[in-house]
Amino acid sequence: MLFLILLLMAAPLLAEPPAAATTNMTCLRCHGMKTLAYRHPSTGKIVDLFVEQVALSHSVHGKLACTECHDGDFAHYPHRAETQQRSLSCVKCHEQQDDATKRHYQFTTIDAEYAKSIHATSDAVEAAAFNCHSCHDPHRFHASQIGDSLATIIHNDNALCLTCHEQARLKHAWLPNRERHWETVRCLDCHTPVTDSKQPVSHHILSAADSNHDCVSCHSKNSQLLNRLYRYRAANDVASHGWLNTAIFNEAYVVGMSRSAVLDRLALVIIGLTLCVLLAHGIGRYRAQQRLLRKQQ
Amino acid sequence: MSASYLYPRWVRIWHWLNALLFAILIVSGGSLHFTGHPWLLDFATARPLHNITGLLLIISWVAFIIGNVMTNNDRHYRVQWRGFLGRLFTQGRYYAVGIFRNEPHPFHPSEAMKFNTLQQLSYLGVMYVLVPLLVISGAAFLLAVYLPDTIFGLGSIWVVAMLHLTVAYSLVLFVLVHLYIITTGDTVTTNLRAMLTGWHRDDQQETTK
Repeated sequence: MLFLILLLMAAPLLAEPPAAATTNMTCLRCHGMKTLAYRHPSTGKIVDLFVEQVALSHSVHGKLACTECHDGDFAHYPHRAETQQRSLSCVKCHEQQDDATKRHYQFTTIDAEYAKSIHATSDAVEAAAFNCHSCHDPHRFHASQIGDSLATIIHNDNALCLTCHEQARLKHAWLPNRERHWETVRCLDCHTPVTDSKQPVSHHILSAADSNHDCVSCHSKNSQLLNRLYRYRAANDVASHGWLNTAIFNEAYVVGMSRSAVLDRLALVIIGLTLCVLLAHGIGRYRAQQRLLRKQQ
Repeated sequence: MSASYLYPRWVRIWHWLNALLFAILIVSGGSLHFTGHPWLLDFATARPLHNITGLLLIISWVAFIIGNVMTNNDRHYRVQWRGFLGRLFTQGRYYAVGIFRNEPHPFHPSEAMKFNTLQQLSYLGVMYVLVPLLVISGAAFLLAVYLPDTIFGLGSIWVVAMLHLTVAYSLVLFVLVHLYIITTGDTVTTNLRAMLTGWHRDDQQETTK
């Protein structure tokens, strides 16, 4: 009887397998250390294994357990080589989500677009190991948030490109008002084609040669920008700041968008002619007045 | 010489506030449209200035309509169709020919009707057609996110922009002609004084009546 009682008391301990004890904190005990890194034996590069806990919790993946993506055997330390080398497919996981078809971005479309992008097709050495994670750190990535200023979104977005493309400033010397453009337009806005996929931005990053150099595609009636960042942004603004603030401080005006050369010329000619007629009319009246005064004298 | 009280205080206050809004809107709107020219306002200044002034113009327009409904000022905006074309022709002929022959003004404003037919027609067009179109297209611009992608098969922002621009140019024309016509009273400043004091002095009224 005593044995039976002891057995019952010990049952919960026995039933718990060691792997289930793995919570995010278990992983972050080591991976939360800023200094956790090693030098890759063949490339000689430092491989950073640090995961910043706050950034992770604010990221799109913040609610996931580490083991939902990293599902191998991590019970042993050092982790086994075959578990470490397993590649993670963003597209596969994201396509399996229940709401996959309702999301802003369709991952199959992203996959197809990325396959055509210069990041995937380039023969350059720098582009050799390019993958989703090169730009989107899964431990900190989050889509632009309501309430972020447009300038912040653009700055963060462009900073991502500029971490690799160090020569970008030099190569954009031709661009008029370069700094102003960089503060108000994302790299992506010129370096991706306009697609019909209904997604806010294409992942089909173009080569420098194929990218948009045409001022008119933004500074014109069919401004690409309006159909991209700004329209999306305006919707967010209305939601967070109300329509009055959005109306007063809206950032959606693109110079030239509302300009029609024909209308401008026509209007200025008519205004000019009107001024001439008014001037002539005034001179005519003045002379009539002078005649009247002479007659009266 | 006679004088009649044509412009009550609220009309004068509204008129000069509206004039100020027009001036700011023309300068700031031109600065947005033709940005980069050294004579114009800085883009970052012109943008909120134009938006805020535009919203104030909506309030000003609504105030004008309410004022007209509450008082009997709207009598000046009711077209008298009897003899309309004849009066229109007479007024037009005066500005085109008579004024150069020192002919007397064919129309004498009174408290019953302060506008001549040409004036009435242009103010009706401005206050009941152009300004409403201007503020509606302006508001549509500001809240472009609610617009459908296309109107009549054209990009809706483009339609709104062209409407706003055409109406704006028309109103610039109106302002130019308006400023000139002010000087065509009995003396150059007669009409200007009337809008400042409310009293219209008519030197010819008694001799020609």
